[in-house]
Amino acid sequence: MTLLSLDKITKEYDGVRALDQVSLQLTKGTIKGLIGPNGAGKSTLFHLISGMEKPSSGKIYFKGMDITSSETYEISSLGIGRTFQTIQTLMNMTVVDNVLAGMHMRLKGGFLSCGLWLPWIRKTEKEALNQAKEILEFLGLLGRWEWPASQLSYSEQKMLELGRALAMKPELLLLDEPAAGLTPAETKRLAERIGCLKQEGVTVFLVEHRMGMVMEIADEIAVLHNGKLIAEGTPESVRRNPQVIEAYLKGKRLDA
Amino acid sequence: MVDQKGKRFRKRDLVYVVPMWLLHLILPDPVSHRKKEFRKRDIYYLGAILILPIIWSDPHVHHLMVLGGINAILALGLSLFLGYAGQISLGHAAFFGIGAYTTAILTTRFSIPTFVAFWASAVTSSIFAYLIGRPILKLKGYFLALATLGFGEIFLVIIRETPSLTNGVIGIFGIPWFSFGGFSFDTYLKQYYLIWGVLIGLLLFSKNLVRSKMGRAFLAVAVSEDAAASVGMKVPQIKIAVFVVGAAFAGFAGSLFACVMSTANPEAFGLNLSILIVMMVILGGMGNLWGPITGAIFLTWLMDTLGKYQEYSLPIYGVILILLLIFFPEGIGTRLGMRFVYLISYFPRKKRREEGKTG
Repeated sequence: MTLLSLDKITKEYDGVRALDQVSLQLTKGTIKGLIGPNGAGKSTLFHLISGMEKPSSGKIYFKGMDITSSETYEISSLGIGRTFQTIQTLMNMTVVDNVLAGMHMRLKGGFLSCGLWLPWIRKTEKEALNQAKEILEFLGLLGRWEWPASQLSYSEQKMLELGRALAMKPELLLLDEPAAGLTPAETKRLAERIGCLKQEGVTVFLVEHRMGMVMEIADEIAVLHNGKLIAEGTPESVRRNPQVIEAYLKGKRLDA
Repeated sequence: MVDQKGKRFRKRDLVYVVPMWLLHLILPDPVSHRKKEFRKRDIYYLGAILILPIIWSDPHVHHLMVLGGINAILALGLSLFLGYAGQISLGHAAFFGIGAYTTAILTTRFSIPTFVAFWASAVTSSIFAYLIGRPILKLKGYFLALATLGFGEIFLVIIRETPSLTNGVIGIFGIPWFSFGGFSFDTYLKQYYLIWGVLIGLLLFSKNLVRSKMGRAFLAVAVSEDAAASVGMKVPQIKIAVFVVGAAFAGFAGSLFACVMSTANPEAFGLNLSILIVMMVILGGMGNLWGPITGAIFLTWLMDTLGKYQEYSLPIYGVILILLLIFFPEGIGTRLGMRFVYLISYFPRKKRREEGKTG
């Protein structure tokens, strides 16, 4: 069953074509990797899916609904969670509050009922706290649940951001370079956790530079190059694709 | 959570040890107290506020505390907007003015009871805040500051230029004392209890607000609107809502101010007051609730004390503010609070540590 489908997405910034006629399908319950050299348009694609930017042309469908022109919060409330490439930890809160912030739309209560601390608010806050602690335990951050988020290390903040996205109970999780800046051991643990999420039925769409990790955990891989989708398929077929090899080798030579 | 700076024990803290040891017997342990429900020991705080004016029975002090309390309500409302949601408003005095004028007009022209006018003031301020907030809260930073500044000035012009309703620059006189159920708050002492009662009510409301999902939404909006939107927070609505709540607080304060002073005059609600409220929040400390209250009382007291020095008062005032901002950049309330929390919780923490060692 197709969960997310992109139909000929094009995004232009003042004449620069960041994405060119990209069409993609995500099957429910799978992990899809998105790779490509720097500047290929991977993060732009994520911004378009999560509604932070609007495509110049093309349509995005989530569970058959057209979400192309929806606001970000509407898209999130449909069940699309995301993390950011440049981490957006909520530095002025504690670790557990960061996760609780992710539960915002699942918790009931408006301004007055929160301000008066009515009985059901008390109950939902208590339940939410327990759920947040479960998520922190899953991510290995339970020992620091009362720390200020600003005192966590970079890799812990990355985990915390994943936790905030998980707190939404998303059906589709967009991870923008979750392993960037992590040590090999931490990357391995992250891969295990993403595997756990897959078993729980979460669909994961992953942008990553670490080819090893993507090849290992992704069921399918799509390759972007200069805004165009140049290959799509199983990790094995992508690895052998001559266009991909060319794009990556060229990219590496240019980088060096 | 206490910042690292507050955790080191300094030699000079030895001076405080004896009073702190005495205090920790009656005051709650702040570390375990944090975010918890109302406890029996909170009654001590309440008791202190109740007894203070009786011990210090000087009408001038009572009046000062009344004005300080009104300013504290204003600062509390603004601190939700400025300290939590991270937005700036230089037009907060306008909502204070709207509250005061609503009460003034309703009580003098239509002889509506002050208790009803009190609620009507908050509602009027909120409605105005909603109407103004919808267009201008799309702005950020300096632009928002300028837009709110402009709103404050427009409010003053409207008040001055509609004498049929507001009596123009002369203002409205003869507003009755606040009364409720036949009981009239006609002395400074009674007003003190009235205003501090309202302040405590609003403080509890704010405290509940900031520890619930709404408080987390404010803080999230302040740090990263992208992150807030990505977890399904409706950022524009949250900003408007917190603006409206701040304005409602200002409306309450304005109504009480009109009843206490028994006049409403446009000069009282100008830019000076708006900036003063912002100063209270910044000096007191942003991102906590008792910081602005500390700041409000401190500034009210400071301005009253400096009043003695006539023409030198403003320069002295300026110098004190600059010094405070240099030495207490995170706010008096926050800094003192950090040490206070550290020192008060010293004995309980020691006890816990020892229990941990043996157990």
